[in-house]
Amino acid sequence: MTEWHDAAATDALSDDEVMGLSIAGVPVALFRQEGAFFALHDLCSHGAARLSDGFVENGCVECPLHQGLVDIRSGAPCSAPITEPVRSYPVRVVGDRVEIALDR
Amino acid sequence: MPQGETTYVVVGGGQAAAWIARTLRAEGFAGRLVLIGEEPHWPYERPALSKEFLRGTGSVEAITLLGAAQAGEAGVECWLGQRVTAVDREARVVTTADGRSVAYDTLFLATGGRARRLPGLDSLPAERVHTLRTLTESERLRGALAGAKHLLVLGGGWIGLEVAATARALGVEVTVVEAAPRLCARTMPPVVSDWLHALHESHGVRMVTGVGIADITGTADGVAVALADGGRLEADQLLLGIGIEPEVGLAAAMGLALDDGILVDAQGRTSDPRIFAAGDVARHPSAFARASLRLESWVNAQNQAIAAARAALGGTGVYADIPWFWSDQYGVNVQMLGLPGLGTRAVARGAPEAGSGCWLMLDGSGVVVGAVAVNAARDLRVLRKMLEDGRAPLPDAWADTATPVQRLPSRPNVRAD
Ligand SMILES: Cc1cc2nc3c(=O)[nH]c(=O)nc-3n(C[C@H](O)[C@H](O)[C@H](O)COP(=O)(O)OP(=O)(O)OC[C@H]3O[C@@H](n4cnc5c(N)ncnc54)[C@H](O)[C@@H]3O)c2cc1C
Ligand code: FES
Repeated sequence: MTEWHDAAATDALSDDEVMGLSIAGVPVALFRQEGAFFALHDLCSHGAARLSDGFVENGCVECPLHQGLVDIRSGAPCSAPITEPVRSYPVRVVGDRVEIALDR
Repeated sequence: MPQGETTYVVVGGGQAAAWIARTLRAEGFAGRLVLIGEEPHWPYERPALSKEFLRGTGSVEAITLLGAAQAGEAGVECWLGQRVTAVDREARVVTTADGRSVAYDTLFLATGGRARRLPGLDSLPAERVHTLRTLTESERLRGALAGAKHLLVLGGGWIGLEVAATARALGVEVTVVEAAPRLCARTMPPVVSDWLHALHESHGVRMVTGVGIADITGTADGVAVALADGGRLEADQLLLGIGIEPEVGLAAAMGLALDDGILVDAQGRTSDPRIFAAGDVARHPSAFARASLRLESWVNAQNQAIAAARAALGGTGVYADIPWFWSDQYGVNVQMLGLPGLGTRAVARGAPEAGSGCWLMLDGSGVVVGAVAVNAARDLRVLRKMLEDGRAPLPDAWADTATPVQRLPSRPNVRAD
């Protein structure tokens, strides 16, 4: 069964914002897009950079180190130099809390 | 002619070459694709050569951009370890030193640059003298540093400084000699030079600036450098970090238009419309700079190559990035945007000189020409977006760290010529 972890309050983020979290020891970047929440593993698939330090625009987060783009909703690579997907985690909202599942 | 018979040839086996080949395939080019590179290695990225790789914590695999498996899968014929010695533009044939040849429909020149050397170096013991451009040179330097006590770096530019930082991390004593009065003087404003100077001294590097070299000689166990001011330095290893020369020999012999690099338009096209160039070797028109620029930067090699490959396939997009460059030294991430060296006034946000913040650089008329961020990538990124939109934050507001950069008051940022 999926284990959900409490991550943040729903009002902790505005649209197009990102925050870095540590959930059960796993680094997670939590994003808000058009009112919905998305979570990615908080490590670029190209190098040692935190996506939560990145820049959010047009549904993508831009890595702070080399400007590669990752799709916030899927973790898919969207521009050079990133070629490998970033793991994305399921997210749900329960009341005024955002929860994240790490397994899968 | 059906596209299946079309042949595209890429000369140069570095970062730009790899991105040209990758992009051609990603954008659907179905013809024959030949990449010819002089180095024996599969195309790789160079930044780690002065950082992780030199330190011994990197790997060839981690920096490879187009490896054997990937090239095979994408159908890129790689002729490695082969130097192109001639291109016949009339017959459209490329010939290598080994006498192999291939006819092209479209040709790409991504020949990069070669490390500059000084006359007279050849008389020195070769195992003591280094330049750093290639993977082979980085491996050689790493081997030399393992047994070295004192490294002398000639040239206080980015490569020299990064090697100095890595050598310090390896426990090697380092002296940097720079003939100009300050570090990175070609591209950086004094405030950044001063900060770099202090950063390196705080990590135990001995800095000698504003002093030229009179002579370099070999000693029994190293090299000795006579300084122009009469001083003398001895070290067991010497690194020359005095810049690169764009590798334009081939293009010159082909009769292409040159000006400190191969001249290209905003799509990477040379004076011959069938031939494109990208990366360190190419000089392109920069809308931001309102001048032509030849950049020696990783992101330029990548994005200009992608733009040229797309243009060769009929795309209409242009390469219009604002110049950007980064360096890592002592765990500090420095990012440069625009042309900060043209600035005469620096306004700091945060405390860049203390390890976190960003200098906004303005010219004499108050126009923002660039910025330098120290561990502040996101602020620089937001600033880039503003500059791309033709705006810049008000200098008086820039220091206000309580307000995110995107909410700072801004104004049009237009340079008068
Ligand atoms: C040590 C080091 C550290 C760096 N660090 C950074 C950094 O931190 N940040 C940053 O932004 N940039 C950095 N750079 C710069 C960046 O690596 C270069 O801008 C980039 O490599 C340029 O790519 P290129 O493909 O144009 O040229 P290159 O990578 O130089 O590739 C050119 C290739 O063409 C081959 N070639 C040349 N002539 C011929 C011929 N006639 N026939 C066949 N092959 C030929 C060469 O052998 C070479 O392999 C660094 C560079 C170095 C050397
Ligand atoms: S580390 Fe993210 S793009 Fe390189």
